[in-house]
Amino acid sequence: MKPGALLRLALAGSRTDTLRVVLTAVSAALAMLAILAAATVVAIPELGSSPDDAAAWNVQYTVAYLREPGLRPGVTVALVLLVIPALVLAAQCGRLGAPARDRRLASIRLAGATPRQTMTLVAVETGVASALGALIALGTYLLGRRLLHNPGPDGRLVLPTDVLPPWWVLALLTASLPLLATGIAVVALRRVSVGPFGVVRRQRAESPRIWPGLLVMPGIAVIAVLEPISAYADNRDVALPAAVFLGLVATGALMTVIGVVFGTGWISHRAGQTLARYARRAPAMLAGRRLMADPWAGSRAFAVVLTCVAFGAAAAGVKAAFAANFAVEDEANRLTAEANGEEFVPRTDLDFYYNAFDLINVAVAVAALIAAGGLLVTIAEGIVSRRRTYAHLSASGVPRSVLRRATMWQALAPVVPASVVAAVAGAALPRALFGSSVTGGGYDSVPEVTLSVPIPFGDLAMLSGGAVVVVAAVVMVSLLFLRPSTHPSELRTG
Amino acid sequence: MTAEPLLTGRGVVKSYGQIPALRGVSVDVAEGEIVAVTGPSGCGKSTLLHCLAGILTPDAGEVSYRGERIERRSEAERSLLRRSEFGVLFQFGQLVPELTIAENVALPLMLGGTGRRQAHTAALTWLDRLGVAHLADDLPGAVSGGEQQRTALARALVTEPRVLFADEPTGALDTLAGEQVLDHLLRVTQDQGTAVIIVTHDARVAAYAAREFALRDGEHDPSGVGIGSVRRGRRARGEVATEARAR
Repeated sequence: MKPGALLRLALAGSRTDTLRVVLTAVSAALAMLAILAAATVVAIPELGSSPDDAAAWNVQYTVAYLREPGLRPGVTVALVLLVIPALVLAAQCGRLGAPARDRRLASIRLAGATPRQTMTLVAVETGVASALGALIALGTYLLGRRLLHNPGPDGRLVLPTDVLPPWWVLALLTASLPLLATGIAVVALRRVSVGPFGVVRRQRAESPRIWPGLLVMPGIAVIAVLEPISAYADNRDVALPAAVFLGLVATGALMTVIGVVFGTGWISHRAGQTLARYARRAPAMLAGRRLMADPWAGSRAFAVVLTCVAFGAAAAGVKAAFAANFAVEDEANRLTAEANGEEFVPRTDLDFYYNAFDLINVAVAVAALIAAGGLLVTIAEGIVSRRRTYAHLSASGVPRSVLRRATMWQALAPVVPASVVAAVAGAALPRALFGSSVTGGGYDSVPEVTLSVPIPFGDLAMLSGGAVVVVAAVVMVSLLFLRPSTHPSELRTG
Repeated sequence: MTAEPLLTGRGVVKSYGQIPALRGVSVDVAEGEIVAVTGPSGCGKSTLLHCLAGILTPDAGEVSYRGERIERRSEAERSLLRRSEFGVLFQFGQLVPELTIAENVALPLMLGGTGRRQAHTAALTWLDRLGVAHLADDLPGAVSGGEQQRTALARALVTEPRVLFADEPTGALDTLAGEQVLDHLLRVTQDQGTAVIIVTHDARVAAYAAREFALRDGEHDPSGVGIGSVRRGRRARGEVATEARAR
């Protein structure tokens, strides 16, 4: 197929197809902006060899997270992590208007296109939309850095608008994103086969097993061994390389998140089984059977929301450990001052650390917001793709309220236990790393001070509850699609 | 027709945008009567059925059930009516794919407040009457089109409705499966005195009806009746059933 024909066929379609392309481009643009922001932070010049050296600080910035080289990697990682929900949103947008696209693809197959050609069309659509989004993001970034370059009276900047990554980095990133999005689209299509009479999505026939969910345990264990390894290294006067430490933390966290996401498939299936077996009312029974029929839908839809919960819970746990450490330090200092007959002055720089956690919470909230957008697309698309069944049920006298409650049950039944699991798993990571208590003092005349690290139950409840509220709110909005999907005209949809 | 009609449509008008589908159609259906609504594609058959069943509200005219206007009732009241007094059977795609065959049939009863176990027992009874009880625990996707349609018939009749609306009920089935479904439909509805309105353009299906009501271009076409009359005569003589069995 000639590129022109490929492009024409890939971008042909109805208003829904156009909306899908636009939303894919928007999510790609969001991802690209996050990548460009991360690249800009990386491009801030290093002024010294040691990040602890004040001479290495980039004093032109008002914000400590940009000024201090030791803090910048954290900012970079946070920005790169924001790419994940944006790319997931792009993948979820790819399913928007799927029934109409499926009919179009089947028609193209009927006209003589090979299966590979039709798959190429879908991949090209994603690639073109992502390329468009990436270019828009690049333009917005270049324009934005000019508009936002506004030094204060002291000549300092809030944002690093004075640095620009090398042009080849910008070009590479702009080209990589569409390729990555296309790759994701191709992977997402691995279970799809387009025939002349329609599109078949092969669902996994086997029920989800619990063992992928159990990956949470080795994930926590990997982090738990860090403390004894560090102690062992200290005893032998060997410095544990930072790369090893960070690598193990990242591996443990990744295994935990994968465990939570894949475990949600098992949770969905179990929740479905329980509802299907014990539900006395039709909505719960309908939801239970749907969950059993496609338990992975929950894990796909809620993956980013649950990752946000796990990440937020881990941050809350780290904050609790830091707070306990500060309290122990303060107590030890107070006792030292008392022993020396000096006046005790508590630490005053704690706000800086706590503000860092606020920033993490903002990043989690932004990711959750993007995830909510993806969730909305997934749930709404699920309703629209089932419109024939819904229209028949409605015509048979099934009230829309029953379908509404069934949709709500279907979303909340897995997300309530899964969000609790995500919060517990996330909170367990810092617990494994820092332990359940912290000790200070114990030198000279100062007695040893030990404080237990409190479990941040309030934060965990807020994160789990917040996830459930976000999902419930998204379901409520997506139910707007239920009325048109039960319209009698759908009874005639071929 | 001497008895008070069970269901009445008077001057029913319905348009889709600028396109008129029904132009003042009037029809009566008596208790236990089987009426075939016939006519070419696009003549308004399904629209008439949807208006009579309260699925659509007519733009003008009235629809009455047991002498009470239904087109003025709220969507919730019409839903309740369809769930309790009416049964609806479509061509295909009406079963919930994730529910088992028995659960699909039990669904209308559960919606009406019947306990799950009781609804399940009633569903099994109906599946047995329609010869598909052995499929009770299967999913719709695992059974044949004819078996799916018999399940849908069981679901439409499980609440023992007074009127069954069937829109091309055998349109997606082969001849033998279609006739099996219609045989069941006829037997069961006659047993419980249910009136049946079947939309069809198939002479074989029309032959099952006691009366034909023909439409053309959204209007009643008295000259159009008769597509099922030849076969109706043959059915009366037992020839059609013999033919189906022979296949």
